[in-house]
Amino acid sequence: MSTRLARILTTIFVLAVVLLPIYWLVSTSLKSNREITQEGTLYPHVPTFDNYVRLFTEKQFGSYLTNSLVVTFFSVAIALVAGAMGAYAIARFRLPLAMEGKVGLFLLTLRIIPPVVILIPVYLLMLHLGLLDSWLGLIATYTAFNVTFCVWMMESFFREIPVDLEEAAMVDGDSRFGAFRRITLPLAAPGLAATAIFAVLVTFNEFLFALALTATPRAMTMPRGTATLIGRIDTDWASMSAAGVIGALPIVFFALLVQRHLVRGLTMGAVK
Amino acid sequence: MQRAARARKYRLQGAGLDLALPYLMLAPGLTIVLGVLVYPLWDGLRASTRAYRYGSPVADVGFQNYVHLWSDGQFLNSLWVTVKFVALSVSFEAVLGFALALFCLREFQGIRLLRTVLIIPMVITPVVVAIVFRLIYASDAGMLTALSEAMGGGEAQILGNPLNAFIGLVVLDVWEWTPLMFLILLAGLQSLPHEPFEAARVDGAGAWRVFADLTFPMMRPVLAVAIVLRTIDAFGTFDQVFVLTRGGPGEATRLVSIYGYDTAFKFQQTGYAAALFVTIGLVVLALAFSAIRLLRRVDAS
Repeated sequence: MSTRLARILTTIFVLAVVLLPIYWLVSTSLKSNREITQEGTLYPHVPTFDNYVRLFTEKQFGSYLTNSLVVTFFSVAIALVAGAMGAYAIARFRLPLAMEGKVGLFLLTLRIIPPVVILIPVYLLMLHLGLLDSWLGLIATYTAFNVTFCVWMMESFFREIPVDLEEAAMVDGDSRFGAFRRITLPLAAPGLAATAIFAVLVTFNEFLFALALTATPRAMTMPRGTATLIGRIDTDWASMSAAGVIGALPIVFFALLVQRHLVRGLTMGAVK
Repeated sequence: MQRAARARKYRLQGAGLDLALPYLMLAPGLTIVLGVLVYPLWDGLRASTRAYRYGSPVADVGFQNYVHLWSDGQFLNSLWVTVKFVALSVSFEAVLGFALALFCLREFQGIRLLRTVLIIPMVITPVVVAIVFRLIYASDAGMLTALSEAMGGGEAQILGNPLNAFIGLVVLDVWEWTPLMFLILLAGLQSLPHEPFEAARVDGAGAWRVFADLTFPMMRPVLAVAIVLRTIDAFGTFDQVFVLTRGGPGEATRLVSIYGYDTAFKFQQTGYAAALFVTIGLVVLALAFSAIRLLRRVDAS
């Protein structure tokens, strides 16, 4: 009986630690700035949605959201296609100089280097190409980052699928690429889904490159736009908390929806 | 046998257009990676040996930028802050995550809710996580202040005090990333074989003995990988600090990433910042590869 009680108490404690900060964010977003700074209430006494309305009418959050969705969609989609093909090539073919093994290691090495290390030269590159503050600049950058781990994750998924199935398809008259497209790819679908979900999370949440590469609502993504609310002297807590809720909502909803794939993707690399 | 397998692989490679297929399939991915990651890396190396004025190179200075780093008190301090931050955060995350994973190993009511809720901190945008913690720590609008005032106390001083701000940053990281540690370790625990544990139970071993003699040694590789992954990641932490404290007060929470960013974009010392980042990249790579080598040796023995 006492272990049961200890278990319940621990569960409640963990839930409280995780959820209280989020409660405070949501609760603050429903208060007026006056209530936040002067009254210090523990819950919104006069709940209001003004903060949310203001984000979209005065602070261009519509644009930020659109930019985020466009940039995330294209950089994940392109990386998945390019990554799946690249992964298949190194999982199934022998290349000269045993390159099939080295490409994977090379991409993994690129993945280990903290992104901040190449921030300056990527900034200079986009500056010279005239791609600062544009969708294209962000999409190119995020696609490259996504390709590194898409190839790395998908290679192992493809290796798990028996070659015989492709051989059978080719005996039946399919081309090599046809066998890949019609047989291997559908079989690897759950793995591809896990990879895609992981890519969406990382891309939607990215801040550092968005900070350096964008400057106006033309291309600013959600995290980047949210950071513009942080003032030097005066902090508009009401807008900031509402922006936090808007920024977190789509991604949390998405994560809970695809929970099982997500956990698989997150833990796969480590346990193997 | 091996020869047969090799022959089969060659046969699979086919003839005609199929011979070029692997290269055609690799080309799009490699092109974008070479263009947007590898070229900048090379460019960064070049920039690190130059002096810049107003964003354009004015002189070749060889390794001077690198030498200068080691007599730059602000860089050394940021390095020290980063090491402290990474060591503290990752240790807490490993211990808490492991404890939580052991706790959740046995099925009980509420465990599914717990596991679902634990996903939230690590998927929320890091910028938003930082906003959440600013809302907790702020001396005027913060949760801690509100709680303290509700109990008759005064304003909570977190972000204005160097030590408290640093602890506050570690707490943020632990809140955000313990769940990842937990998920990895739980998956590891669930993949352990059952037999040794049953044998131990038959032998009447206590819970502590089972943990010290079976669970922990068997979990060591997974634990090591999880710690290495988190350590590499934590070294690059930027977003949370940028939003929470901007490196302050003073230099109390200024990690190398923040110092490098300021050097490049605020102080416009492009070459010097590039040298700083190349150094950080090398440190992290060295760390990662020695960890991998160590793991392989443990695996082999």
